[in-house]
Amino acid sequence: MIHKITAAVAVAALLAGAAWAAGMTNISQKGLAFSSPALTIEKGSVVSFNNDDSTSHNIIVSGNGVNLNSGLQAPGVTFKAPFLKPGVYQVMCGIHPKMKMTVTVN
Amino acid sequence: MTKNIDRKGPSFHRHSLRKLAWGGAALVATGICAMAVAQTLPESAASILGMDAASLARMTASYQRTASIPSPQDNPTTEAKVNLGKKLFFDPRLSGSGAISCASCHNPSFGWQDALPTAVGDHGGVLGRHTPTILNTAWAEPLFWDGRADTLEQQATGPMLANAEMAGSKDKVVATISTVPEYRDGMAKLFPKDPYTIENVAKLLAAYERTIVSGEAPFDRWIKGDVNAISDGAKRGFMLFNTKGNCASCHSSWRFTDDGFHDIGLPGSDIGRAKIMSTLPIFDHAFKTPTLRNIAERAPYMHDGSVKTLEAVVDHYDHGFIQRASLSDQVKPLHLTAQDRADLVEFMKALTSKDSAVSVPVLPR
Repeated sequence: MIHKITAAVAVAALLAGAAWAAGMTNISQKGLAFSSPALTIEKGSVVSFNNDDSTSHNIIVSGNGVNLNSGLQAPGVTFKAPFLKPGVYQVMCGIHPKMKMTVTVN
Repeated sequence: MTKNIDRKGPSFHRHSLRKLAWGGAALVATGICAMAVAQTLPESAASILGMDAASLARMTASYQRTASIPSPQDNPTTEAKVNLGKKLFFDPRLSGSGAISCASCHNPSFGWQDALPTAVGDHGGVLGRHTPTILNTAWAEPLFWDGRADTLEQQATGPMLANAEMAGSKDKVVATISTVPEYRDGMAKLFPKDPYTIENVAKLLAAYERTIVSGEAPFDRWIKGDVNAISDGAKRGFMLFNTKGNCASCHSSWRFTDDGFHDIGLPGSDIGRAKIMSTLPIFDHAFKTPTLRNIAERAPYMHDGSVKTLEAVVDHYDHGFIQRASLSDQVKPLHLTAQDRADLVEFMKALTSKDSAVSVPVLPR
């Protein structure tokens, strides 16, 4: 349990540091679509996925050995995903798999 | 003609479909005119619903049909593929017994379903899930009730090779397409490098299935501005569908589906999407939202075919669902009146188009 809490704190710290270092990009989820089908950002950036729909979503980020899952993302809730390694990442909604976008990290 | 279609890349306009020489093209053609007309509703239509015309226009905007049918870069739709794919779709020689075809379950007479609660396989075994329609599957990815196929090409040969379904085999399929002269020659022209593969059969079936599109329904004519196209009850039903009924939270877009996965509280041990994706509790008992197009022709309803009528469907969503942890947060008691329920059913019936008869092909020997 302590390890999990430590890890969570570490990720939070990493997230905050990364956002400070390379910036934050907002992506809206509205009308069962991401506001952009493709996004290019710098290493260390954070993407803030904002659920602006009236239904729940479930953000899944995969690629380059990374697997992030927002859990159930209720309307109005934001999920912040750090992108720390260069490469191409696939982003989708687990509930609505047609909601897809790619994030390219330089 | 084929080149004209190919030049349009991954999607082609429905006008191109009208040129296709297969008999079912008329089914698509019925929806063509809907694209060209600006979508406006008169004040009189809005007044029935107790809202201004501008608000109603905003509500109807998301239900406007799309103008072109998509196809993937690696399998662009062509007339030749559609024609050959149609014959394969109706050909029972692709099944293990040689007795059933894709069309045995996806029967155009029953909204491209089979009118049974759950499907029946090649050996007469009763399957666990209701046959889904293949109407409008060009837009419907992922496929299957549990979404286990990402593309129509992946889906197309799944039932064919499943022992409980068509009980076919790659060897038998390849033997059929490589020995029946019309198939043999057609495959060689379309896929000259490696013609006789199950993957190419999947491409042809997918190409044909993409042309199966529901035509213009009374609802489409109404949102174009024909105020008499649907009854006042159906208009009230449309309003309920988008408000008190909360139906549109999942049955969205012109196909009336979000292509998403939700537990709607039906009893049963089938865990649905959770077998494919178990990362969240909400995927337990979750199944893909079916389209509501031509719904009046597609009874019985739900993934298990357990609900016989549209009236019973409305009752389920009103108060008949099971409360459990995985239940979609969009499903909640609706407290519909008897008039509300009747209006919702009237509205759903207005989503059914009178499509032209589909000609069954004479199969090559």
